[in-house]
Amino acid sequence: MTATQLPLTAVTTTPPERRRARTRRSLLLDVAEHSTAIALGVIILAPIVLITLTAFMSSGQTLTSNLWPQSWHLSNFHEVFVKAPFLTWLKNSVMYSVLSTVFMLVSSFPAAYALSRLQWRGRNFVLLAVITMMMLPPQVTVVPIYRMWAALNLTGTLWPLILPNLLGDAFSVFLLRQFLLTIPQEYSDAARVDGASELQIMWRVIIPLAKPAIAATSIFMFFFTWNDYFGPLLYTSDQSQNWTVAVGLASFRSLHHVQWNLVMAATVLVMLPVIVLFFFAQKAFVQGVTLTGVKG
Amino acid sequence: MRDQRFLFRALTSATVLALALVGCGSGSDNGSKAAPKASKPTGSITFWHFFTDREEKAIQAVVTDFETANPGVKVTVKGGQDDEKMRQAIAAGKGPDVGLSYSTDIVGNFCSTGAWQDLEPLIKRDKVAMDSLLPIVRSYTEYNGKRCSMPMLADTYGLYYNKKMLAAAGYTSPPKTLSEFDAMVVKLTKKNKDGSINVAGFVPMLDFYENSAAHLAPSWNATWLTKDGKSNIGSDPAWKAMLEWQKSLADKIGAKELQKFNAKKGEEFSADNAFQKQKVAMMVDGEYRIAFIKDQAPGVDFGTAPFPVPDDQASRYGAGYVTGNIMGISKGSKNPEAAWALIKYLTVNNDAIIKLANGIKNVPTTHAALASPKLEVDANFKTFIDIFQNPGSQTSPSTGNGAVYQNQFGDFVDKWQRGQVTNLDAGLKTLDDQINKALALGQAP
Amino acid sequence: MTLTLTSPPVAAPLRKRRRRQHGTVLLLMGPWILGFLIFFAYPLVATVWYSFTRFDLLSPPSFVGLRNYRYFLFEDPNSWKSLRNTLWFVIFMMPARLISALLIGQLLVKIRRGGSIYRTIFFLPSLAPPVAATIAFAFLFNPGTGAVNALLGRFGIDGPLWLSDPAYAKPVLLALGVWGMGDVMVIFLAALLDVPNDQYEAAGLDGANAVQQFRYITLPNLSPVLLFTAITGVIQTLQYFTQAAVASSLAAGVATTGGGSASSLGYPDGATLTYPLWLYQMGFKNFYLGYACAMGVILLVISLVFTIFLLRRSAAFLGPDAAR
Repeated sequence: MTATQLPLTAVTTTPPERRRARTRRSLLLDVAEHSTAIALGVIILAPIVLITLTAFMSSGQTLTSNLWPQSWHLSNFHEVFVKAPFLTWLKNSVMYSVLSTVFMLVSSFPAAYALSRLQWRGRNFVLLAVITMMMLPPQVTVVPIYRMWAALNLTGTLWPLILPNLLGDAFSVFLLRQFLLTIPQEYSDAARVDGASELQIMWRVIIPLAKPAIAATSIFMFFFTWNDYFGPLLYTSDQSQNWTVAVGLASFRSLHHVQWNLVMAATVLVMLPVIVLFFFAQKAFVQGVTLTGVKG
Repeated sequence: MRDQRFLFRALTSATVLALALVGCGSGSDNGSKAAPKASKPTGSITFWHFFTDREEKAIQAVVTDFETANPGVKVTVKGGQDDEKMRQAIAAGKGPDVGLSYSTDIVGNFCSTGAWQDLEPLIKRDKVAMDSLLPIVRSYTEYNGKRCSMPMLADTYGLYYNKKMLAAAGYTSPPKTLSEFDAMVVKLTKKNKDGSINVAGFVPMLDFYENSAAHLAPSWNATWLTKDGKSNIGSDPAWKAMLEWQKSLADKIGAKELQKFNAKKGEEFSADNAFQKQKVAMMVDGEYRIAFIKDQAPGVDFGTAPFPVPDDQASRYGAGYVTGNIMGISKGSKNPEAAWALIKYLTVNNDAIIKLANGIKNVPTTHAALASPKLEVDANFKTFIDIFQNPGSQTSPSTGNGAVYQNQFGDFVDKWQRGQVTNLDAGLKTLDDQINKALALGQAP
Repeated sequence: MTLTLTSPPVAAPLRKRRRRQHGTVLLLMGPWILGFLIFFAYPLVATVWYSFTRFDLLSPPSFVGLRNYRYFLFEDPNSWKSLRNTLWFVIFMMPARLISALLIGQLLVKIRRGGSIYRTIFFLPSLAPPVAATIAFAFLFNPGTGAVNALLGRFGIDGPLWLSDPAYAKPVLLALGVWGMGDVMVIFLAALLDVPNDQYEAAGLDGANAVQQFRYITLPNLSPVLLFTAITGVIQTLQYFTQAAVASSLAAGVATTGGGSASSLGYPDGATLTYPLWLYQMGFKNFYLGYACAMGVILLVISLVFTIFLLRRSAAFLGPDAAR
């Protein structure tokens, strides 16, 4: 995982009351601001609406510049699965995302714990190393890593992308550490006085408190892997049965000689899970934010 | 400052470990020098090819025949693969036992790097009669005297024209010279009220479907490489002539409108192909288009002909671009015996070749199959058989780094079409230099 | 978000537990240390070594000295072009994303009612998988059938070829980047809401107008976040690959059958050939892996400059115990 994902800390924080504004604001300003926001909203939503409409069109209509479907073809979504092994690609994407997320948590949480809640020599050096790894463009080291996986006979599969998460993911370590720092030391101290070992403290005290952080980090990982294109392209391009939806979608038009309506139906299908996940996960963001307050 | 010392130690140990890892893990063999004794092929093999959809089914049918003829051999077929994927997979040790490629220009790379095994020992062992193959086919399947591939059918490129549109414009036969051709193109082009192109007589853009520089080159007798394998593009005046013709024709129709038309075209192998939608009157394509039209647009009344030649080279009319599908055995194949059996079946078994040729409308590569009455040849397909056997027909040569020189030429052509090359001579000379340097980069020190 | 490298001080009586902690730390950090060695330290060293070799994955690397670097600097027709393209995105797209995110964040702070709905809408595009979003844009900007030119046509404007025109291809990708600025916006929004209200009130009493308030209160308060976002943005943009790859191959739409076609990556006229794209093409399509490593080393140097800058800035946040 790279530095591309940044915490969405304030997605749902409520703005503090602004008494100052309330009294002095003119109605005119209010209207101006809302119309700007609505106009922007329309522009921003337009692409999503337009591709969704296209997904329902007949193939003939996509060659015209008509924006509204003349007839609604729900069957396009079914056709996507017939034309290409989309179901297999979906399964692969789910496997890549779920396993990566689980592996990342198992390895990164302990590291983040050690980096935030324990005092030891070299800690700051390790932290700098974490940040440097997080910032390293994946293309820099891609050749030796590819060769390594080729020697292990694992290219052509998604394992070269999943397995490294067992050995810690720099961005997740960093993010979890930032969250964990904000949990007051008193919780740990109290448990220590009771004679708990560090591992017991981590397991019984800190993990329950860090649930929102774990949720947020998992979501970032899930999003990153679901959206990843470079990794699956590099490792699985010659094995279409191991493609993820991102790779499959990118080559859908040229490889399966399909029209835009089916491409758009597939595009909608790939976008849908992340959008659904986002609406379900909003609460995790809220809790993560209120508990940790990692912001400016 | 213990931190620093720890850092130093960690970095040193990491470096030592890394150097150790770098050092090992090499060592390779370049295939067997002497072939093992012939044995009955058994076991399972993987076979990758690039065909999709209808063509994929035709290939599968012949592979099934092979399995019936060789009980005990199981072939796992995977379609839709391209050369780069195959090359990457072979390098990673995950290549298929048998690979099929559509471009002869990779032979050099696959042979010289050992990605495909040397077939000579197997050919000698089984006494395969190589003279049953056409000479041009024999030449493009080897590199520097090393044979690592066998030909499985060939593709030949020529001119497709829409008979109805030509008749409506008052033409009864396809053009033979470029001046005839240019005049026809202008007359056949129909524009909309806003100036945009409704029907193009011909789209001279060199990225329009199969209308590439390589496919047109034989009509000008343009050569890619010198005898010692260096770029010849800047020295051979034919290239300049071809590019200047291309530009003048584009200007006659309207270059900007053509670019727009090109950007709007339907996907090449879908039913929306512009020729099949009768949006272009003439285009360059391979013989396989006959089968696509029959399948996707049976209503289009079309004819085929060799691509016209420059007026001063009228005697060369009839030549065209030839390329073949080629097959080879990957380095590291676990079952070379069965792999070789499949290759032999698909490349020198005349019954299989004819069935395949009829199935996907490709040109067969053996003398016997070409002459066979079982080969279904109609007037349109005959054009391509003739081009294939024309002595002036050419293929794009193979280099140690595969088709990289063609990509570089493609980049140059892209610039040229956009009017960004002001001095064509100097531009082509620079291109020569770039191609030679890229070739040098791929050479062993 | 800022880099907070401080950690709470440890109470004195607990110090003796430290010795026992060493084992625990090793246990907790073990996997990460392995990961550091296998996926960071070793590949980094190996990349530098390969960059001095000719390497095609099939035969062992052979030493060629500085040949790859010489080719990059003086001979490769695309190396500088790809670097220029990537810098174009760093100079134009990255700031455009930040500025639009800041302005929209500012607008959202001002809006009281319905703010959360707008926030969700503005954030939504950043969730769209890059491949999907790029395909959507390539479709909408399709010169023939796309909605954008259809709309322009209604106003009598003859729209350009967008992704098929070297002059417009990058700007379309910039628009795509700005469309997905929601992730940055959310970070700015959090920071904007943290600006103490009394500062605005005091400024308001002094008669400062909105622009002055933004200049003298908002910006200074936001500068740490802005800096962090800018630097991570630069490093993120240096890796710009997916959108350029998908957009160029869709715009090119060239057949794969038969040789002689321009390679689709970077189409048109190399306008979208970014540095990572060229590295990928040279390494994994042309199999000049030694050369790809040389390009990797150069990319490493460039990104290290920014990383070190970030780390130095973060030193300011280091707490007292960081000196240990």
